Amino acid sequence: MTKYILKRLGQSLVTLFIVVSVVFLLMRLLPVEGYFGDGYDKLTPEQRTAALQRMGLLDPWYVQLGRFYFNMLKGDLGTSIIYRRDVPVVEIIAPRIPYSFYFGVAATVLALIVGLSLGIAMARKKGRAADKVGTGYIVLINAVPSAVYLLFIQLYLTSLFSLPLLFDRYQFRSWILPTISLSLGGTAGYAMWIRRYMVDELNKDYIKLAMSKGLSEKKIMVRHVMRNAFVPMAQYLPAAILSTISGSIYIESLYSIPGMGGLLVDVIQRQDNPMVQALVLIFSSVGIIGLFLGDILMAIFDPRIKLVKGEGAR
Amino acid sequence: MKKTVMAAFCTLLFLSVISAGAAPKSEDYYSVYSGELTTLNYLVTPSENEHSVIANIVDGLVEYDRYGVLVPSLATDWDNSPDGLKWTFTIRKGVKWVDNNGHDYADVTAQDWVDAAKYLFDKKNASLTADVAYSVVKNAKAYFEGKITDFSQVGVKAIDKYTLQYTLEKPVPYFLSMLTYVCFLPVNGKFLAETGTRFGTDNRTVLYNGAYVLQTFEPQVGRTLVRNDKYWDKEHVYIKRLIFKYNKEAGTLGPELFLRGEISSVTIPSSLIDSWMKDPAKKAIVRPAETTMYTYFYAFNFNPTFDAQYEPDNWKIVVNNKNFRESIFHALDRRAAMLTSEPYAPERRLHNTITPRNFVNAGGKDYVNMDDLAKYSKTDSFNKTLALDFKAKAKAELAGKAKFPVKIMMPYNAGSSDWTNRAQVVEQQLESLLGSDYIDIIPVSFPATGFLGATRRKGNYAIQECNWGPDYADPETYTDPFVAGSNYNWPEKATGYVQANGKGAYENMVSQAKAEVVNIAKRYELFAKAEAYFIGEAFVIPYAIGGGGFEASKLEPFSYPFAPFGMSILKYKGQTVMQKPLSTDGYNKLKATWEDEREEALKKSKY
Repeated sequence: MTKYILKRLGQSLVTLFIVVSVVFLLMRLLPVEGYFGDGYDKLTPEQRTAALQRMGLLDPWYVQLGRFYFNMLKGDLGTSIIYRRDVPVVEIIAPRIPYSFYFGVAATVLALIVGLSLGIAMARKKGRAADKVGTGYIVLINAVPSAVYLLFIQLYLTSLFSLPLLFDRYQFRSWILPTISLSLGGTAGYAMWIRRYMVDELNKDYIKLAMSKGLSEKKIMVRHVMRNAFVPMAQYLPAAILSTISGSIYIESLYSIPGMGGLLVDVIQRQDNPMVQALVLIFSSVGIIGLFLGDILMAIFDPRIKLVKGEGAR
Repeated sequence: MKKTVMAAFCTLLFLSVISAGAAPKSEDYYSVYSGELTTLNYLVTPSENEHSVIANIVDGLVEYDRYGVLVPSLATDWDNSPDGLKWTFTIRKGVKWVDNNGHDYADVTAQDWVDAAKYLFDKKNASLTADVAYSVVKNAKAYFEGKITDFSQVGVKAIDKYTLQYTLEKPVPYFLSMLTYVCFLPVNGKFLAETGTRFGTDNRTVLYNGAYVLQTFEPQVGRTLVRNDKYWDKEHVYIKRLIFKYNKEAGTLGPELFLRGEISSVTIPSSLIDSWMKDPAKKAIVRPAETTMYTYFYAFNFNPTFDAQYEPDNWKIVVNNKNFRESIFHALDRRAAMLTSEPYAPERRLHNTITPRNFVNAGGKDYVNMDDLAKYSKTDSFNKTLALDFKAKAKAELAGKAKFPVKIMMPYNAGSSDWTNRAQVVEQQLESLLGSDYIDIIPVSFPATGFLGATRRKGNYAIQECNWGPDYADPETYTDPFVAGSNYNWPEKATGYVQANGKGAYENMVSQAKAEVVNIAKRYELFAKAEAYFIGEAFVIPYAIGGGGFEASKLEPFSYPFAPFGMSILKYKGQTVMQKPLSTDGYNKLKATWEDEREEALKKSKY
């Protein structure tokens, strides 16, 4: 296992280096005028040069890249050049992560509880009313653009239940609708996923054998069907939870939640290179760690899976 | 009887309070916004989003009053030398710099403007507004470019603690108006040194001498401005607290928040205006929103660089034919185009000149009514008969030289639904009037990101809707997009206009107007002549002014500073929040009164 972890760590660092470097270089290919927004026309060439100099963009790309990695190793991710001029990127990002993470984890837990319950009920009652209602919900969530039903929920449910329209961290009631809204997609996904795997498992021979041996339905479901159906999901669960720190673009926007949602898009559009680099670094690290944890979790749930070569590795 | 006497007494008491000039009462102001501040460093930022806060927390030397007349602010009076080069200001005594908790930090002195200039003209600080100041202040540009290093040679001096002097490169008749812009605001040098690169990064790293103090500022959450108790003119600040809440979807949620009473004013999006106008209760609280000094026009490109599929060589031939340009000029139904963004009152935004009305005046006469420009300002350019006449002439003159139908590549910003719709309307309308055998308008969509860089700035268009905002209160500012070296439509490349000195006729007229720096009325007339010539030769088609639309608001209109340029118009000083929003009728009545009063005020104004 240690060998596996070290190997994966090495691969992860290489992946991270490639991703960050590619993004770093791609950002340098964007048009220079993007650093100035609508005010570009009104600036003199001297001002443009002075501004680019201040942003460190007049040095050769390899000098810029080297400087970035050198500072990064010292724990300095730089300061924002446009999004919030002169403010260290860590000061901008750090206060936002907890909001996205709290909402994300709460919504994931809610989605897991409701989604798995719904999926199990649908699988057990396949073709009957519960299955049809569940399918209807899944189709609705996947077919209707989320912007439509999320706005509908915000405008009408806040009126109906006298809930605040906008998020206020000191008001617990303002946490309710964003969490529910955030969980809707996950609920549909988990329900669809678990139903599909359970239905697959239920059709397998070993289940038929267990049934013919007279095992109770509860035992078959809990010990065999659900456990096996949960294994493929387990791989993606850590990544799903960790990636919540990237936030939800639309829900955070709708409810004024000061999280990470949309931050990366914002800073890319504004060409704030230090912010983009820091966010890419964080999101890539989280993605890599999530996948890594997923592999380990899967091995725990399914003893047949080995992570090291020569032991029936995947 | 007793009741009647009591009622009469109360009425008299009330009237006596009113007549004694009691300060207007105001509620707090609540709002939502979708664009967060990127900095509070007012010496570097050119963004109006930031200026909307800065205008309320830092005062400059002069400001505009509610009629658009320049009045003293932190300068109590001033003097201009006979040669027009030296401006000497007496700084108001007893004005304090305070921190975000309202605690005194220092006195405001003349040195604060010198320290601000030193920061502004230091290239290392990369101020994006420095050019506005260094274009007029003596030696400032040379200092910025590093050609001189001794700041004492730059034309900003503190003669004594309360006397400030600017020396200019040349006489600038609109210099006072420039002083209302951010780059002429003061800064406390000691505080600037203490904060270093953190200056203006949040509400604790700026000092306040304005009407409000930014008490709280939490990015992506909100900000609260509270009235500055140490403010020199606090008796004219009526709103005690300005509370802003961040919401990225403010444009969508704003109307609902207003209806729930959670915010004090909201712009009604064009997508909702129809439903609001059809609902009597909502219609009663809707009023027109103010227009701005942004000008919009359709530009003919004389330097086409677009793709061969749109036949740039053919375009070069036709765009240099005046009759061809005039045929489009008169064929464009601007009202039909404007309906895409202003379905209820398109006329409020339609405009027949490049410079907006009410921008500047001389002796009370509006600039757009001067000289030849008056002819255009009062005439709608859309004229079917003229359009078809010019078409016939153009076809005759271009026969055998140009290919018909002429492909006209017209980019639009796909990020704007109004613009997208307008491109289709303009295409159908022009082709239907002039015939698809004459022109083939080809709307081409470009993404919002990098739109101007991909289109106008590199000449990648035949006809394009463009805009421009003023940099100072003088008609010269509206000539900037069209002089050589600009990247709008390159009229200097038009054939048949070059005069003996090698420059275009329009550029020579503008130069002549710029040279007149003593007689303001004459100066404006010369600019009006040049603008009339430019429109008459159909280099552009004037289209509209900015702003407009409708809003629902409890802010009392016409109580705040009115300004053609600068930050005064962004101030809450003088404003009140009424208990109920005003209807359109109520608004129109107030506007009529304000216009009459303004006319009188302008006649009396010295500046």
